[in-house]
Amino acid sequence: MILAGLDIGSTITKVVIKNAKGVCASVKQPTDAAHRRLANKVMEEALAQAGLSFDQVDFVVATGYGRINVPFADAQVTEITCHMRGINWLFPNVRTIIDIGGQDTKAIKLKDGKLVNFAMNDKCAAGTGRFLEVISDVLGVRLEDIGDLSLRSTQPAEISSICTVFAEQEALLRLSEGYSVEDILAGIHKANASRIYSMVRKVEIEPDLAITGGGAKNAGLCKALEERIGFPVVIPPEPLITGALGAAIIAEEKALRLSEEELKEKHGRRRLEAVTFYDADASIGQNV
Amino acid sequence: MDTACIAGLDVGSAFVKSVIMQGGEILSYSISPAGGHFGRSADKVLSEALEKAQRSISDLKVIGAGGLGVHFVAHPYTKVTEISCQSRGTHFLLPTVRTVIEVGNQASRIIKVTEGGRVADSLASDKCAAGSGRVLQIISKVVKVNQRDMGTLSLKSRNPAKFTTGCAVFLETEAISRVAEGTPEEDIIAGLHQALGSRISGLAQRMRIEKDVAVTGGGGKDSGLVKTIERMLGVELLQPEEPLITGAIGAALIAAERAGIQLS
Repeated sequence: MILAGLDIGSTITKVVIKNAKGVCASVKQPTDAAHRRLANKVMEEALAQAGLSFDQVDFVVATGYGRINVPFADAQVTEITCHMRGINWLFPNVRTIIDIGGQDTKAIKLKDGKLVNFAMNDKCAAGTGRFLEVISDVLGVRLEDIGDLSLRSTQPAEISSICTVFAEQEALLRLSEGYSVEDILAGIHKANASRIYSMVRKVEIEPDLAITGGGAKNAGLCKALEERIGFPVVIPPEPLITGALGAAIIAEEKALRLSEEELKEKHGRRRLEAVTFYDADASIGQNV
Repeated sequence: MDTACIAGLDVGSAFVKSVIMQGGEILSYSISPAGGHFGRSADKVLSEALEKAQRSISDLKVIGAGGLGVHFVAHPYTKVTEISCQSRGTHFLLPTVRTVIEVGNQASRIIKVTEGGRVADSLASDKCAAGSGRVLQIISKVVKVNQRDMGTLSLKSRNPAKFTTGCAVFLETEAISRVAEGTPEEDIIAGLHQALGSRISGLAQRMRIEKDVAVTGGGGKDSGLVKTIERMLGVELLQPEEPLITGAIGAALIAAERAGIQLS
């Protein structure tokens, strides 16, 4: 059985293709303004990587904030459930998940693989990946480098602002005072970690704790969070795809509940949708 | 004998302002963007104001200074808090004012002023940029309209765009989406004025404002924002001729008072 999970995040789109044995392929791409066409492209890339065709896919689950924009998905599931399932599959002992995404950060608490509680920060850029994006921009370093750079700091600069806009200004002020970029970044990660921590505390932190999402790729932020939390955290080898992985796992469950005829019927309908969907502009013309 | 010549400096995060006063009158003032160089900008506005007033630095009996970048001022100065400066400076220009709404780049503040121009109470929104004048700068950048022209444009809007978020960073993202969707710029500006205006009026309502009410700071220069706040609070807002220099005036007056200098 071939299953697919798509996670259309605000910043990055991820696809995981899975069979009964495990993950066959995973692809991630920046989220395009036209989610529809991109979802298709990323899906095709993942299929090519796995050496499969779209006809062979038995069930597709879409998640993430763009999940309703995937016309070839058989079901939509919230990203909270997907992250939880993905992490539970990878690390069965995890009880708390911090997902640091591009535009929101979530804390998920689970017990026996089921959701117990969650908290979310989606009203304010502080504590999200966006905060780090703004800061790396203003300091003129690449987002992917800020984690390692900050680990070189010997004396973190004081950053007292919670607000992204004010922290940006504070970072510039510290720069003019002569602090190194490394020290400022270390201060920034500390500030961001404390913001995330105060949100996560609401769900009652319990070990093991996993960090997922783009933020988990930032070693400086993870270290600052670990210091705040007080015990070592678990980081998946590819923290961006846990949501898509969870979606694929849910796809498997859903597919197993269907009879062969029902699956076949789904295949037929889905293929058609996918064709219409591929190169939307051209096909609109042809259909008319 | 001539009365003493005094100077006030307000080293703000966006603008640095300086005034020269003598005999209870403003001789001159100068305003310059801070540009991240507080010391240099402070020096510049002070020299410019002195030149305009035809005075030299040695004529100054005292310099009062306040603001985020006050530590960068190279001359000896008396440090004064921003809130006292706003209160005293606004009172000097508009003696009937009992509430000052200061919309600055770093914070919006509501300051209640006594009959004598002292601070009775104050409340600031300084933890989150969504309530500060910074929003105006962000909008101006997104719609590519000079901050000076935003007020006039905003007042033309018939259908202000709705913004769902309270965060300045996400407001910017939303505004960019509206631009991409082709929403007229006056509707975007008016929508953002409403978002900011409701933050500021919310703050003001927590203070039980008393009349007269004045608006100062960079936000006081934006007629669209001023009208929005007026509508939300249901009061008329008095505006100093130059709303950016109230802090610098207050700094000069308070420093003189502390030094025991007779002003007239």
